[in-house]
Amino acid sequence: MRAHVLALVKPQRNLSSPASTSTTASSTSTNTSPHRTPRARTAEARLSVIDNLTTARETLWDPRYTSREPPDIRLQPKQVGTLSLYDRTDSNISVQSLNAASVKVESGCEGEDGTETKDVKMNSKGHPNSFQQLEKLGEGTYATVFKGRNSQTGAFVALKEIHLDSEEGTPSTAIREISLMKELKHTNIVSLYDVIHTENKLMLVFEFMDKDLKKYMDSYHSPTNPSAPRGALDPDVIKSFMYQLLLGIAFCHDNRVLHRDLKPQNLLINTSGQLKLADFGLARAFGIPVNTFSNEVVTLWYRAPDVLLGSRTYNTSIDIWSAGCIMAEMYTGRPLFPGTTNEDQLQKIFRLMGTPSERSWPGITTFPEYKTTWQVYATQELRAILPQVDPAGLQLLEQMLQLRPEMRCSAQQALSHPWFLDVHAKARQGEQVGQGSGLRGM
Amino acid sequence: MAANYWDSSQAKYWTFTKPELASLRTGLAQQHPNLHNKYPLPDQRHLSIYVQNQLTKLARRLNLRQQALATAQVYIKRFYLSVDIRKTNPYLIMATAAYLACKMEETPQHIRLMLGEAARQWPELGVTETSKIGECEFALISTLQSRLILHHPYRALGELQGVFGLSTEEAALAYSVINDCYNTDLPLMYPPHVLAITAIFLAVVLRPAGQPAGLQAHSASASASASSSSTSTPALSGNAAQTALAGFAGLKQAGPKLGKLVDWLAESKVDMEAIVDATQEMVSLYEVWESYSERACKEVITRFMREGGGIGK
Repeated sequence: MRAHVLALVKPQRNLSSPASTSTTASSTSTNTSPHRTPRARTAEARLSVIDNLTTARETLWDPRYTSREPPDIRLQPKQVGTLSLYDRTDSNISVQSLNAASVKVESGCEGEDGTETKDVKMNSKGHPNSFQQLEKLGEGTYATVFKGRNSQTGAFVALKEIHLDSEEGTPSTAIREISLMKELKHTNIVSLYDVIHTENKLMLVFEFMDKDLKKYMDSYHSPTNPSAPRGALDPDVIKSFMYQLLLGIAFCHDNRVLHRDLKPQNLLINTSGQLKLADFGLARAFGIPVNTFSNEVVTLWYRAPDVLLGSRTYNTSIDIWSAGCIMAEMYTGRPLFPGTTNEDQLQKIFRLMGTPSERSWPGITTFPEYKTTWQVYATQELRAILPQVDPAGLQLLEQMLQLRPEMRCSAQQALSHPWFLDVHAKARQGEQVGQGSGLRGM
Repeated sequence: MAANYWDSSQAKYWTFTKPELASLRTGLAQQHPNLHNKYPLPDQRHLSIYVQNQLTKLARRLNLRQQALATAQVYIKRFYLSVDIRKTNPYLIMATAAYLACKMEETPQHIRLMLGEAARQWPELGVTETSKIGECEFALISTLQSRLILHHPYRALGELQGVFGLSTEEAALAYSVINDCYNTDLPLMYPPHVLAITAIFLAVVLRPAGQPAGLQAHSASASASASSSSTSTPALSGNAAQTALAGFAGLKQAGPKLGKLVDWLAESKVDMEAIVDATQEMVSLYEVWESYSERACKEVITRFMREGGGIGK
């Protein structure tokens, strides 16, 4: 340790590699090897350093370690904090798409030019892959999504073509999505294979998924219960999807990322029953815009009440609320709170959950969107609305659908809920292909 | 920012050893031997200092944040590992890196404003259309392989400040040292916490050195110019005088703090070799800084831009 600390301040004009540094230093010190156990280092470190250190200058240019004259060196940082350091609102959460990534893969636009195919000749620099561009899957404010086929392997991909804007360069939404997808790799998050820069456009190559959850529900026919309402899924499918959804959310939250726009259209399903989160994108630190740039109304149905009330300090719990709404919808085939406006959305939530007051939610009156004119509803039993859900499932749902954000469970807590016990068991036996890394969080 | 450092693209794809950096740069030189012979450059760090000074001026005009500035500097460093600076218009690269960094740090600036201020700051820019910045941004993102999320030492410093009980001045000095480290290759070599600890170490060890005046005065000016903590200025100048009189009094103060720091380092699993190396880099930087000449850097850039017909787009 002594070697380290002394070497720590030993000046060298020509920087040497760390290896040679420690060699020099240990040859001059009496009793140390550079690799000691931390425990052994402590006492010795204190002795050798504190006792030996007289002035920094003396230590730095101790004649035992350098033959050079002490230079006229002053530690004088030239680049001082003239720019604001302290008032930075450094969000520790990266914000996610609410609307800009409003391209829905497989959102029902196919057929428009479904038969037309063309080869996308990618800029060959470092990209041996070329893709055959197949039918259009969807179009959004800043991108168009096509189905594609890798010409060499024949594998399907989703090609997201980014429109460049002369006023804003590459859309920050796209930059945000790309850079986040480069960091977030998880079984339950859709993979970004490649980013291809061509002459004047940007093409994102994503893992191809067959359907989004909305479409999956729309086309679902229960194999066990023919009389089930249209769109309602079977309980074991729901449980598997919820588990995977929560795994994906937990991973995002562990990495300090909020998705902010979870809804069935943003959850993609493949043929082996895997569910993956998609559409990461909009870069907005504060506030969730209600409209996209094209004035298309973003769905409010999965938005948490604290956000609807105008909270700007929302956190990971907003994704949990969305997950709860999605869970209920998978049972019934219908959205739980299909509001039309911000106000209407709140009303629909209160009708089920009860209208909050200062007593049930201290601080509610301080929210920007708080109204004294709200109709007062009593809290209803979830069981009455969702009789098809088993008791354990209802209990989990209740923990997710709490009006007060601090009362909602975390994704990790949800994953360890008893409702998932049989999923854990199955995952352990490796029976379920679709649940990949299903052992996390236990 | 998002995700944890060890799994980040910064750790996996944009961290190099010294030999790796050297071979990347040699590779560039070998691609364009004529350019290299014709336009020898000053010390790498001198150029970095020039870039930092220039960016700081731009940042003041636009009221950008320190972290966005740091992000821009890392983008520029990474970019010039793949592209020879002699083939570019460094002013356009600086403006574009700042523009992209602001987007990434969630404080976006309008492209027109960025271009306008950059053109006013740098008559050499020679770009009048915003689309040029757009194109350059596109190239920058491509060259950086879209790996744009950075982990800076500032957050680690904030967290460790309390652990070591740093005084306001020490913390401000450590901040300044971190700012300075963007003039070295350190952000391309070590994890952010290593750089933060190095900065803390330098701030704690060197503060009461034989020449307190320079240091103290400097940290005084640092806190005076940092917008928020203006109250500490008079107390500091008094302090400086006192330290000068009392000789080694300052060191005794730093003693227990240093002891704590050393204990902590010994107990922790922090890579000591990295901290040794980073400290030496910083000490060396301050030596090199003594011979920095803004004019020399500016002239070299002007020469290769004029004669080289820069590709900077």
